[in-house]
Amino acid sequence: MSVSLMQVCRALAIAGLLETIRRKDLYVVLILMVLMVLGASTFRVFGVRGLEIFIKDVAFLAIGVLSTVLTVLIAARQLPDEVQRRTIYPLLARPITRGQLLIGKWLVAFVTAGLGFLVLAGSAWLLLLVLGIPLKPIFGQYLLLKLMGIGWLCALVVALSVYLTPAANVTISLILAFGSGLFNRLLLMAHWERGLDALWLNWLFGIMPHYDFFDMSQKVVYDWEPIAWWVIGAMGVYALTSGSLYLVLGWLRFRRQVLG
Amino acid sequence: MRVIEVCDLVVEYRQAFRPPVRAVDRLSFEVREGEIVGFLGVNGAGKSSTIKVLMGFQPPTAGEARLFGQSASKAHARRLVGFLPETALYSPYLTPYETLRLYGALQGLSGRRLHAQIEALLEAVGIAHKMHTLNRNLSKGMLQRLGIAQALLGDPKLLILDEVSSGLDPVGRRELRDLLRAQRERGATIFFSSHELGEVASLCDRILIIHRGRLIAEHTLSEIQARFDSLEDYFIRTVQQGFDSLVQEVAA
Repeated sequence: MSVSLMQVCRALAIAGLLETIRRKDLYVVLILMVLMVLGASTFRVFGVRGLEIFIKDVAFLAIGVLSTVLTVLIAARQLPDEVQRRTIYPLLARPITRGQLLIGKWLVAFVTAGLGFLVLAGSAWLLLLVLGIPLKPIFGQYLLLKLMGIGWLCALVVALSVYLTPAANVTISLILAFGSGLFNRLLLMAHWERGLDALWLNWLFGIMPHYDFFDMSQKVVYDWEPIAWWVIGAMGVYALTSGSLYLVLGWLRFRRQVLG
Repeated sequence: MRVIEVCDLVVEYRQAFRPPVRAVDRLSFEVREGEIVGFLGVNGAGKSSTIKVLMGFQPPTAGEARLFGQSASKAHARRLVGFLPETALYSPYLTPYETLRLYGALQGLSGRRLHAQIEALLEAVGIAHKMHTLNRNLSKGMLQRLGIAQALLGDPKLLILDEVSSGLDPVGRRELRDLLRAQRERGATIFFSSHELGEVASLCDRILIIHRGRLIAEHTLSEIQARFDSLEDYFIRTVQQGFDSLVQEVAA
């Protein structure tokens, strides 16, 4: 009896979601959401006129930081937890390949972290509505792009988890996620300094992970009009190709890795 | 029909700045359909390494292992295999029912058939009353029973059991013996490692003894019973005397 990738992903996703709910990870996000809403609603007492930009900036900074940390922590433990608990053995004893397991684990991380992000973003939207600060339609594009970024980041972290210890993986992933914007700005500055002939800088820029590309929060904060859909499509292609590449690199090691 | 074939299997573990450790050394044996074979050896003899290769958890350094005529490294070769790992640990955040539903789905089972089989198996291993209790609240013996249930999901034709009775009380061991006999009656082949020699003696047709990665003895239970006081006597003498002297003794 052969097992399809869809069956593997579905079974792992259901079990992964049940585990996440019982681990109470999402409860922490929910508590943070309630605290954010309650805390920020106190602004109403003093009035928020003139502070709209500041409040939106704080809200989207909180969403960005919390969702990134949550994504890295969830994705980093998917495979190492199975190996540490030795539950990987009964899993791999089924007629499934290691590639199917890797993709299934990526999907579990993506679905769980994506749900966490939507809870956070929904709470921020609610909070801003309570404060009388509506968001423009570009908020929808922000959600879509950020979800792509979360899927991409999950692929990077799951792939790194087969090369690094969990602690090293979390550290490096967080540096890459939060530092990508800074690195990219530094590279661009160096590019301008050296001129367009600095080919190696182009290469370096191409190789570097670009998690910052998926963040449109400043455009939401400053009420931009929606951006062209081809840009979102191009980001989708980038997320798909580089995310797939990370998973392939992870699989190349995981398929022959001695477990336990 | 040969269900398991192991041919000149070598398993080495690499170490930094030191020569590799050879856990399995040119091991060859086979298990035929319907047999119950005990795989014995002292700690560190190479039993678990051999089983890891058989289950595709680890690639062999040299040689090959085949299940139902297919390379053990292929996922497809495991479609008719049930496996119980040495240490039975299952997700602490799932219940026994959910654990079996996960493994059943990964086996390609679904719907009412899977539900009925899960209930029947949990009943058979004696933890049906804990079906919806989180695994983290189960005792070691109950987790071992859950492990046995997951190994039996999908009515596998081959059962590979590593330290099968670990953590079970005397009642549990008797129930396990009955369960394994029932599996044999339905035609399953069973290959298992255990340190419980009484259990091995009561179940096995044939016994393989591995020492320092090499197969040093292979006899049927009737041959052993005819020449030795007990299985324990046979095992200890075999391991102590080594391969050559045992061959001479049995031949004489």
